[in-house]
Amino acid sequence: MAKSTFNRIQIGGVVTCVPPLEKCIDDEVELFGGNLKQIARLKKTIGLDRRRVVEAGTTAADLCYAAAQRLMVARALGPEEIDAVICVTQTPDYSQPCNAAVLHGRLGLPKTCAALDVNLGCSGYVYGLWLAHMMVSAGGCERVLLLAGDTISQVVHPKDRSVAPLFGDGGSATVVERSECESSAWFSLETDGKGFDKLIVPAGGARCQSSAQTRAAVMDEAGNVRSPENLFMDGAEVFNFSIVEEPKAVRDLAKYAGLELDAVDYFVFHQANRYILSNIAKRLKLDPAKVPMRTVERYGNQSSASIPTALCSELQAVLTEGDSHRVLLSGFGVGLSWASVILNLGALPVCEMIEYATCE
Amino acid sequence: MSLEKFIEDFEDAVEDVEPGSLNAGTVFKGLRSWDSLAILTVTDVVEMEYGVLLNKKSFEGVSTVEELYQLVVHKR
Repeated sequence: MAKSTFNRIQIGGVVTCVPPLEKCIDDEVELFGGNLKQIARLKKTIGLDRRRVVEAGTTAADLCYAAAQRLMVARALGPEEIDAVICVTQTPDYSQPCNAAVLHGRLGLPKTCAALDVNLGCSGYVYGLWLAHMMVSAGGCERVLLLAGDTISQVVHPKDRSVAPLFGDGGSATVVERSECESSAWFSLETDGKGFDKLIVPAGGARCQSSAQTRAAVMDEAGNVRSPENLFMDGAEVFNFSIVEEPKAVRDLAKYAGLELDAVDYFVFHQANRYILSNIAKRLKLDPAKVPMRTVERYGNQSSASIPTALCSELQAVLTEGDSHRVLLSGFGVGLSWASVILNLGALPVCEMIEYATCE
Repeated sequence: MSLEKFIEDFEDAVEDVEPGSLNAGTVFKGLRSWDSLAILTVTDVVEMEYGVLLNKKSFEGVSTVEELYQLVVHKR
């Protein structure tokens, strides 16, 4: 079982960058065929409302770059102090080379710095933290820069009601580094590859190469429009996966760490949508005050950037002031893949949201 | 589990349905608010109350509240 424990490694700052352009479900009456009641229900039940989306020409790498720059300035970190950079994304600038290499160049990092991408979405931030902890733990890396970001708004078809109003864009930068303090971190990482087609962009890769046919959008029986190069989500199956696997994963991890759930101060889940999060919280009997779940209504579901956004927007005050807190982070989604960590987080020198400025 | 309680849970889960307005023979797919969101909320309450996980296919073969109840009884 992929579980591991680390000590004396900590998160030393998080910055998340979102694009300034805000879209709102209230402005998309046409997408819902004029059904205002359905929009009202989606807002109330699922928590859909506003989301940030990039303008043409801005990529996840740009958002991550802006976040990394802000993080390095706030921490007064020079490029030579970064030993490795990990980029978690499913919307890279190029199919090759990887975003981490491109960003390594843009950030002026030294040649002695390792760089690699991780092709994961909603579980990717926690997977990235796990890799960063392993790299520091193994030696050779004192400090790892984890960049996690996606522009899923660019992969959904604008006339697909099942995904278009849900996804927003964001890019984050997190520094993971060796620490003198006792600071344990327990990770668990899981996969169900049989569910690979529940959340998928079926065409445009090597299995089904891009062609005129894969670019042609068609309407499905529910009236949603998409091409095989757009993101498809089987919402009901993903919901079932989330409410079964997530509570189990959280309980298992707490047991592995030897902790009661009450001993955890905050539970920061991938911000899929408020309905799924409140369901997971209900099943685990968590105090809702410990479970941030307002990120989707402000920023949209940001895939790999959603946990850092929840940290920077909903827990900013908690994480920058005072003592360290015991926090559980858990991502779940495309793969199907899910990963959780319980770690100490707090007294961060920087934990903030910034807006992308096009001139960067 | 009882059919009466199941009907109450079902009414509770679906938006715009008044308590006491449905019966065993109600064709729930004919309800105005029956859509993919209702499938989620009913799936949720059935899993919470009866420990049975329904999927989209489960709903395809049934049309009345009682048929759905029988399916849940069978799956338990």
